[in-house]
Amino acid sequence: MSFYAHFTLPFIIGALAMFAIIAYRYTSWIVQLPRRDKALLRKGILSFATIRSVWEVICESLLHVKIWRRDPRLGYMHMSLAFGWFLLIAVGSVESLLYTGTLLVPLQGHVFFRYFATAIDKHIPLMDNIMDGLLLFVLSGVALAWFKRLRSRALGMRRTTRHTIGDRLALSTLWFIFPARLVAESVTAAIYGGGGFLTGSLGALLGEVVPASVLQALFEPVWWFYSSVLGIFFVAMPFSRYMHIFTEIPLIFLRNYRLSVGDKRTSYDNFQVQACSRCGICIDPCQLQAELGLNDVQSVYFLRDRREHQLTLNTAATCLMCGRCSTACPVGIDLNALRLNSRVEMRNTPSEKRFVYLRGLDRSEGMGKVGYFAGCMTMLTPRTLSAMQSIFEAADEQVWWADKSGGVCCGRPLKLSGERDSAHKMVAYNTELFRKHEITTLVTSCPICLRTFKEDYNLEGIEVLHHSEYIARLISSGRLRLRKGEGAFVYHDPCELGRGCGIYDAPREVISALGTLLEAKHNRRDALCCGSSLANLSIGDQAQLRIASSLTQELEQSGADTLVTACPLCKKALGRSAKVPTRDLSEIVAENIV
Amino acid sequence: MTEKRVAIIGGGVAGMQMAIHLKERGANPVIIEREPTLGGKVAGWYVLFPTFTPAEQVVAPLKQRIAELGIEVMLDTTVTAIAPTCVTLQHGQLLRCDAVALCSGSTLFDARIKEEYGYGIYDNVYTSADLEQMMREGEVRMANGERPERIAILHCVGSRDEKVCQRHCSKVCCVTGVKQAIELKRMMPQAEVFNFYMDIRMFGPGYEEMYREAQVAHNVHFVRGRISEASPLSEGRLQIKAEDTLTGRPLRMSVDMLVLLIGMRGNDDNLPLATSAGITLAENGFFHPRNHFLDNVESERKGIFMAGTCSSPKSIGETLCEATTAAERIINYLNRSNKA
Amino acid sequence: MASNFGFSISKPRVIDIDRNNLRKSNEILREMPELQSCIGCGSCTASCTAGNLTSYNFRKVHTLVRRGEYVGAYEEMNKCMLCGKCRLVCPRGINTRKVAMLIKRKLGDF
Repeated sequence: MSFYAHFTLPFIIGALAMFAIIAYRYTSWIVQLPRRDKALLRKGILSFATIRSVWEVICESLLHVKIWRRDPRLGYMHMSLAFGWFLLIAVGSVESLLYTGTLLVPLQGHVFFRYFATAIDKHIPLMDNIMDGLLLFVLSGVALAWFKRLRSRALGMRRTTRHTIGDRLALSTLWFIFPARLVAESVTAAIYGGGGFLTGSLGALLGEVVPASVLQALFEPVWWFYSSVLGIFFVAMPFSRYMHIFTEIPLIFLRNYRLSVGDKRTSYDNFQVQACSRCGICIDPCQLQAELGLNDVQSVYFLRDRREHQLTLNTAATCLMCGRCSTACPVGIDLNALRLNSRVEMRNTPSEKRFVYLRGLDRSEGMGKVGYFAGCMTMLTPRTLSAMQSIFEAADEQVWWADKSGGVCCGRPLKLSGERDSAHKMVAYNTELFRKHEITTLVTSCPICLRTFKEDYNLEGIEVLHHSEYIARLISSGRLRLRKGEGAFVYHDPCELGRGCGIYDAPREVISALGTLLEAKHNRRDALCCGSSLANLSIGDQAQLRIASSLTQELEQSGADTLVTACPLCKKALGRSAKVPTRDLSEIVAENIV
Repeated sequence: MTEKRVAIIGGGVAGMQMAIHLKERGANPVIIEREPTLGGKVAGWYVLFPTFTPAEQVVAPLKQRIAELGIEVMLDTTVTAIAPTCVTLQHGQLLRCDAVALCSGSTLFDARIKEEYGYGIYDNVYTSADLEQMMREGEVRMANGERPERIAILHCVGSRDEKVCQRHCSKVCCVTGVKQAIELKRMMPQAEVFNFYMDIRMFGPGYEEMYREAQVAHNVHFVRGRISEASPLSEGRLQIKAEDTLTGRPLRMSVDMLVLLIGMRGNDDNLPLATSAGITLAENGFFHPRNHFLDNVESERKGIFMAGTCSSPKSIGETLCEATTAAERIINYLNRSNKA
Repeated sequence: MASNFGFSISKPRVIDIDRNNLRKSNEILREMPELQSCIGCGSCTASCTAGNLTSYNFRKVHTLVRRGEYVGAYEEMNKCMLCGKCRLVCPRGINTRKVAMLIKRKLGDF
């Protein structure tokens, strides 16, 4: 039998165009990958990572497990559209196989099967009902999407993303696809009979209400309409946010092959940027939105602007890079790294002449296998410094002090500002300094330094520790004995220490050895930012204060008599509005040494 | 109008001065003081600028007059809420009255918050209030008992500083700083004294002259630059860093003692008191008068008055003056409400 | 000139507001009006990590830029490590890191 009708042309052309565009894009992105990434790709493809990726694709691209976890209604919406549509196609091919007895049904044959099935004198009610069930499943998702446009709050999100004109075309046609299919199949059932519980019943109803001549006249147009909306959607799709539907799949594979976003833009970034579904989940956790009402700088807008080559310095610069959005992102896009390499692109200036003054500098003091790097900010919180001194003395540790009388910055602030090449000069300087003094352990009190030591320095042979980890070790090895008191401490996770370096437990262990540990409403991976982040290149002092004050309030609500943190910047920020004392972890330790 | 009762919150110089005037004019004031003694902040001071008059010479006569007039004083008593005709004391006890006067003063800035200056961390970092105390005790000594040979005095600690949410100028610290520099030089002529300032504000009679005296007669060094950090050296000495902005170069020096001129900030309980009274606070946390000109001792609400540093940083002279004015306004208010 | 015994009033000594082109300075202040609130306390320079190691003076550089004296400002600003200490001590709450970046952007080759 023939599976061709004129009305299928818009669909066929649209689908071919879409596949051609997508194939071209993915191929060129893969071809343009840096050599290192290509090697990873070759190595990964035949490894277990591929199987893991397939499973992840099922979980995330079809079932949307992460979104489910965040909000079941939002999860259902995404799942019904993605998984429902997938099942319509998959079960649709089974349907056509059962009806025609052949696998050689072309694509338009599955999609418009009910049209072509009018020529077959055969009914498989079970199949019809299953297909109707799937259509209802997808339609329920479409209904939720409509509803979401009207009232996004009901779906657990305060804001939804703004749309560009290209998106609107794809979005509107997407909304029409499944209602159009319902109408087309129902009209067909009204004339030719058949159909399941949904299209069949609706068809029967139409048959009674609408005159047969009218139904006949509608028959071709409704199928033309269905085919056309599909065709338009397919053409618009690669130029809209719906590009994410397919792009998330290669992204999952590439990520599992350990490709990563670096401080230089590569073609792998395309997969990351295009995989954003603009679900807007990143907007809610953003404190710039919640506290300052800024609503055009969040990751979703950053990615949109970058994709459309409209990124401004202001959008790239206005972000705390606290990582709360990355944690929430259901697609797992490396949002901070992308923003960082955009900043590098805008602000990096290679210059051999910069920082020549670092040559030969050495202001370090003392001798020991353990090096202590206080960090610039710790100079402004000298209680931390003197606490560390007493802790080292109590543990009888020989310490080399890297920057007690003023050292050189770790380089992370420059890196976060996009001045990568300058940051490398700090990295090279400090690395040489550490090597020269032959330390084997490097302790720092500043999570900003810690992160860059871990990520950007090559310190093989030197163990890098945050002071919280170092203190926790001293306690567990019995080198430091503490007095447990009645104090109730609430701990604030600094962004760079928690989300940045994954250190959540060490500070908590130390606090538990001293008194009662309390938790704030948002803690660990979900902890709020103090607002003083050096990654923010734009917001002013009063704005920082607003962010800090709301965090302080939340911490105080825990009922603690002391706020504890483990970052000099956080400490300064919290202290501005706290009603109870704000202390660094090291201070409360030093005060309670037995 | 006899025996109209006026609740005066605070028994510092403002509250005492006001009570005396009210009593002399026939009203019945009651002073409610949180501390166990009258006198407020001034009682902790040694001598007062610009005349180096012992603080005792201001506080003692006021106290004596209070006693002579038999003015009722409630010590160790905290006020939790106010209204024009009623004051709520601790434990919910109510005190009926016909007018209320806020003379609750201000709070000295907690220098520990400016951690970079090392107060409460290193020896030999003191606040201006600590220095007054030492002077009252007759000796200025380092922690090890030795005489300091080089002293730095830092202006604007906890004033004009957005970072500690104190945007306002505390007005009297500059004058205090110059006064203390002179006192230190008088006590220890061999010592070197350096005042680090952002701006020197000598707003009152005799103040500029005192500044000049410090420079010329006592060789006090004035460095235009704010200290950014203090760090410990051996034997309790401190290293301080500032920019000498007049030469445009960073300055570093070791000192035996660092004195922080702490500013005044609004009391923590200003907000609950204002809320209970239905009045608002100024942005800086102090009470504010209905306006700064003709009603500068009256709150937004009739029957609630204010005097002294509860409404902004002030010198002792200004505070006494305001207390007198407020007493006058209260008498007028009581007379008018009597007629009505 | 031989007649003045080798002394002359060299031009760079005077900040000549009449002659200086304030366009860049105005642009900078338009983008960051808060910079005008600087009271010149020098805390930024005193705490400066780079200033601790070189003659770099952040306060002086940005003040000169505001007066229309741009020569050498970009090169000086490039000594800054952007560590942010100055921002933490500024009593006026000026976003000093942004000032450094803005001056570099306006006067340099960004």
